[in-house]
Amino acid sequence: MNGLVTNRIRVLRFLNGEMSQVELGQRIGVTRQTIAAIESGKYSPTLEAAFRIADVFKVPLVEVFTWDANAAGRVDE
Amino acid sequence: MAYREKIGWLSLIAMAVTFGPYFTLVAMHAFPDAALPNVRQLFIFGVTAVAQGLIIGVGHLYFRRSSPDEARIPPDERDRAIMQRSISSAYYVLIAGMIMVGVMMPFNSGGWKIVNAALFMIVAAEVVHHGVSVASYRRQAS
Repeated sequence: MNGLVTNRIRVLRFLNGEMSQVELGQRIGVTRQTIAAIESGKYSPTLEAAFRIADVFKVPLVEVFTWDANAAGRVDE
Repeated sequence: MAYREKIGWLSLIAMAVTFGPYFTLVAMHAFPDAALPNVRQLFIFGVTAVAQGLIIGVGHLYFRRSSPDEARIPPDERDRAIMQRSISSAYYVLIAGMIMVGVMMPFNSGGWKIVNAALFMIVAAEVVHHGVSVASYRRQAS
């Protein structure tokens, strides 16, 4: 099935004073490795974690995560 | 490398260096089926179990001391998802093994053959558990 969740976490971290993956992870309660996996599109976070990330950057969820229906790809749950 | 991935590797290596030689030894020297308990067989199993416990214990201590912050962090949602996937994979191996050992083997085997077969299936399930866990961490690593 086609479709892929893409994200702008790297850009948003940069726009927020080059926030580190460790700091973002601490603020939403996950490890640095999980942030790295989300950022690179290898792991899709839960809805709760996605909302937490958006909340840290003070932006709506759709500005962090977008759904590309035409992209071919698959990430681990 | 994530702390929990290191623990997964440690468990796999501990299993390989202890139960690997154990099952090789068991396969090479067919211990008599009838003699239960077989002291020599029990001794080999005891040494294997203690060695595995020691390797895992020392490894945990080493990893805790080398990355204390990571060791303190409770599993997050990705760790839990990986744990769930690896445990459910191992469950199928274990249940298939137990059916074979408990339902089929008593008709044609006995004694230590059954004990070792059960042990082998438990070890196989553990290898699947930690193997799936390590593979999942590797696949998601950047």
